[in-house]
Amino acid sequence: MSLKRLNNRIFLAGIVVLLFLLPFMKVSEYVVILMNEIIVWGLFALAFNLLFGVSGMLSFGQALFYGFGAYVTGLMVIHFGAFWFIPSILIGMTAVIAISILLGLITIRLSGVYFTMLTLAFAQLGWEIVFKWYSFTGGDDGIQGIYPPDFLGTPKAYYYFSLILVLLSVWIIRKFVNSPYGLTLRCLRQNPIRVSFLGRKVKNYQLGVYVVSAIFSSLAGSLMAGINGSIHPGMLNWTTSGEVILMSVLGGIGQFFGPFLGGGVIVLIEDIIGAYTEYWSFIIGIIMLLIVLLFPKGVLGEFSKLRRRLKI
Amino acid sequence: MSKKFFLVFVTVFLAVCFIAVAGSQSYAGAKKEVLIGALYPMTGRAGLYGKDSVAAVEMAVNEINSKGGVAGYKLNVLFTDSKVKPAYAVRIAKRYILEDKVNFLFGVVSSGVGLAVTQVSKKYKKIFIGTDHASTRLTVDNFQPYYFRVSNNTFQSMAAGALYLKDLQKEKGWKTIAFIGPDYAYGHSQWDELQYNLKRYGVKYKVVGVYWPKIYTPDYTSYITSIMKDKPDVLVAGFWGGDTVAFIKQAIPYGLFKKMIYFHPDAGGNYELMSAMGDELPLGLILSARHHDNWPDTKLNKEFVNKFHKLTGRYPSYAAEGAYAGIYAIAYAVKKVGNPNDTAKLIKALEGLKIKLPEDPEGFTSYMRPETHQIVQVQAIGVTVPNKNYPPATRMLGKWKVYKAEDLIPPMDYIKSHRKK
Repeated sequence: MSLKRLNNRIFLAGIVVLLFLLPFMKVSEYVVILMNEIIVWGLFALAFNLLFGVSGMLSFGQALFYGFGAYVTGLMVIHFGAFWFIPSILIGMTAVIAISILLGLITIRLSGVYFTMLTLAFAQLGWEIVFKWYSFTGGDDGIQGIYPPDFLGTPKAYYYFSLILVLLSVWIIRKFVNSPYGLTLRCLRQNPIRVSFLGRKVKNYQLGVYVVSAIFSSLAGSLMAGINGSIHPGMLNWTTSGEVILMSVLGGIGQFFGPFLGGGVIVLIEDIIGAYTEYWSFIIGIIMLLIVLLFPKGVLGEFSKLRRRLKI
Repeated sequence: MSKKFFLVFVTVFLAVCFIAVAGSQSYAGAKKEVLIGALYPMTGRAGLYGKDSVAAVEMAVNEINSKGGVAGYKLNVLFTDSKVKPAYAVRIAKRYILEDKVNFLFGVVSSGVGLAVTQVSKKYKKIFIGTDHASTRLTVDNFQPYYFRVSNNTFQSMAAGALYLKDLQKEKGWKTIAFIGPDYAYGHSQWDELQYNLKRYGVKYKVVGVYWPKIYTPDYTSYITSIMKDKPDVLVAGFWGGDTVAFIKQAIPYGLFKKMIYFHPDAGGNYELMSAMGDELPLGLILSARHHDNWPDTKLNKEFVNKFHKLTGRYPSYAAEGAYAGIYAIAYAVKKVGNPNDTAKLIKALEGLKIKLPEDPEGFTSYMRPETHQIVQVQAIGVTVPNKNYPPATRMLGKWKVYKAEDLIPPMDYIKSHRKK
């Protein structure tokens, strides 16, 4: 193992240890809740980036799967009780496989901007159904009172529950990206025609990554329902898909952990700047402008470049 | 400028952010004060409602603090833009409770946000004073002991609407009705509650059309032509804000208002409409809102409206009075209890709330209904008439009909059946 790789591993292990120790540091309950949101947004951004950063497929509809997971959890908890919180996460992830295969078979027939528009169209269709089906989804009022079972009832317990699931997901996604399958996906991003000439079935690979991304998006949605205790149709709206794109670009789509970091930065800016001014989105706009114009590789991408230059 | 410079800039910016959050963590009301965490939209379509609410809150707080505060405590309000996003509002509400250690949650324009924040209030046992959102669900279906609302809800508006329509039927003998409202919970609640109250008050009618345009629809032409074909005697509208303005503006060229009675009892009479339309606003429209700048003709209402105008340079929309009432409700409860920390006693005090507000006519005082934690108030419905006293509006409401507060509240069997669901 090279020294650089060893350094990376030590750095990552340090972050994981810090994340585990966070509730025992002198931080308030709110910081634990905030960190929980950050890691869940991070997971969603990472799942999205499987499509965009890894495979070169810009989906503007990942909110559909995120919202789907949230609504499966919300509806099951409301109708059958808190016991169903954990099973509902798995049910959501399983159901989303079927949905994403169905939608994927249609969307991956197209590429580029057409793929993007089709994913957006399906997501908006889902949003419209949730928004209008008052008797079942609560319409724009959403659903409230979604609480996990008692043993996950405190912010600290729920944070550990989320953290374990998120870390497990990150590990699986990383393995997936670094597998031969993931390597083919990266080749697809660069030149899909060449990949097909090499005898690979491009559409199968694209469908596969679309489904994997949907599964983890659904998990993120379910976990977020437990953090907020309520869900609403905005979770399926295009603005949520836009937010996750913003997070990925800000963090750096070319870096595995870039979107994760981007998620954290956006949530923090929203929280910190939002406390002082309603013009926080203006500040995000300025930061995005600077990133896109001057640091196109994103925060983590530029950081890696700096590390390489300084040889650390 | 080099990239290095910008890297330094971004790093410094983030560092400042972290220092800011670290600094803000230790805010907690160390001083002897009542700390209130308010959430209002400050941007977008609902931005005016938020801005008016914030101005009215500041006005009420200054009035109270200039007299020495309440029970020895000064009032202090923290404001954050809710962005009309329930998930974000939930996070801010948690921050208010856990970091800032507020004594009360406060505000909210959207019912969706209100429903999400009320769960936080329930979980952390923190009193939430609702000032503007109108969904009846908050005080009926989703009732929880820590929530109190200080402005009328849609049920009360629709009950007043049903009573007005009953009177109107006697006068004009109308028989058919059509409804148009935004296609989301707010619009649907209004229609359901109007039908319930028409039945409750024995009004016979025939529905000839029900229309659900999307919220923020830019073009209502197809709806207007369909309504004209249906020829209802009365068109009931359930829009709010810019949608009301857009619909009325687009319906004028079709002569819609000459062919049927336009009736808009929940938010139609908001000053926002009068100021936006000026001379264009047709006369004879029957409208109402949760507060009117020119009714009641009491000293308190005149003072409130004029002071708000002096402070902001504009006349208040109804949201302002709700926010103003909310601050006085808090002051009332803290004064009764003697401190802002005894939640159980504050709830008791708020359940017995009796408070004279700008929208109360002579001889009536608003009070809290303990079974629902919903304020009980009269509602006045008026007709657009020329009036240049509140510029830029050139029409205001007049020819008022006032409905008794007790006739507007949901009966107990309605509450029980909804809470069972």
